[in-house]
Amino acid sequence: MDDFEAALSALLPRLRRFAHGLAHNPADADDLTQATLERALKARWQWQAGTSLDAWAYRIMRNLWIDTARSRQRRDQVLAPAELGESVGVAPEAEGKAELHFLMRALDRLPDEQREAVALVMIEGLAYREAADVLDVPIGTLTSRLVRGRQALIEMLEG
Amino acid sequence: MDEARIIAWIDGELDGEAAAEVAAAVAADPALAAQAEAHRRMKARFAAAFDPIVTAPVARPGPPPASVVSLAAVRAARAMEAPKRKSWAIPGAIAASLLVGVLLGHQWSPGGGGIADRDGTLALAPSVSHALDGQLAGEAGAVRVALSFRDHQGDYCRSFAGQHLAGVACRAGSGWQLRTAAPGAPSQGDYRMAGSDAATAAAIAAMIEGDPLDAAQERSARSAGWRLKTN
Repeated sequence: MDDFEAALSALLPRLRRFAHGLAHNPADADDLTQATLERALKARWQWQAGTSLDAWAYRIMRNLWIDTARSRQRRDQVLAPAELGESVGVAPEAEGKAELHFLMRALDRLPDEQREAVALVMIEGLAYREAADVLDVPIGTLTSRLVRGRQALIEMLEG
Repeated sequence: MDEARIIAWIDGELDGEAAAEVAAAVAADPALAAQAEAHRRMKARFAAAFDPIVTAPVARPGPPPASVVSLAAVRAARAMEAPKRKSWAIPGAIAASLLVGVLLGHQWSPGGGGIADRDGTLALAPSVSHALDGQLAGEAGAVRVALSFRDHQGDYCRSFAGQHLAGVACRAGSGWQLRTAAPGAPSQGDYRMAGSDAATAAAIAAMIEGDPLDAAQERSARSAGWRLKTN
């Protein structure tokens, strides 16, 4: 394993957490992580040494997630009954997982642009500046999406 | 003192003076204190649920790949594993992540109720083939066809669910070739087993080009024997 692969490998657990912040369910999150690794390995020459590998990899994952938005929506329309089965079938898996599933479903109800801001800052712990760079938006935009997303979540979880 | 500033304070985005200002305002106002506490509590709740993903030990994938197949098949296979402990993730084998292969035939052997090996490809039981040939989506039958669509290669594909086998098959030559499979779902009350639905949904999402066929397109494709009209 070369330096790049070692660095990417070290980043993997955090990428996987970010994927859980974005994706519809844990299986999709692992698919997204896998797809991100593949893309990152193929595109490794695009990463400039000395710049943040974290931000680069987060950006790849976020863009892949956006790309799949259309098929996610269609699947939700076409195969809505799977939702029911999902919650029926997966819930007993493990006590600790139930809470994760629950919070993922809450995140799922946020608009995409609020969700990605929340995932990067509140879950991944990126600084506002870093998150704004990953999303390629002005910091003011990031902040307002973050605030609206968190207000909506509090409403859902405690309201 | 607006909520954005309180959240920024909680996120550690404010420097000394600004942070002290917010801290003083929160200390002086019970409503602001409650608001700050609600945000802190939520942040901690998400950390408790999501941080174990980072610290969780990662297992090596199961058996080594037999051959490289589509990501859709891998998704299907992985979704089928879902009820068991998830054995995914890689470090130490990151390059192998490119070799994401699972040969479906290894998991769904002949006699498992639906698949027979034919010339190294996966062939379907006659009951399934007949349904795929002749049944419109949504029609009742021992094997039900749920959705028809065209894949990225332009071939017709149909998702189906039978007693022993569910999955997606695509037209190949004069027959149907199984692309993804999950165990069938004998009906249990009002809902079907989750694994096969979720796996099939993920597989379709990865395979589909454009929108699913509507009823008219489906009839027309059926009358053309599921062959492509061009070329």
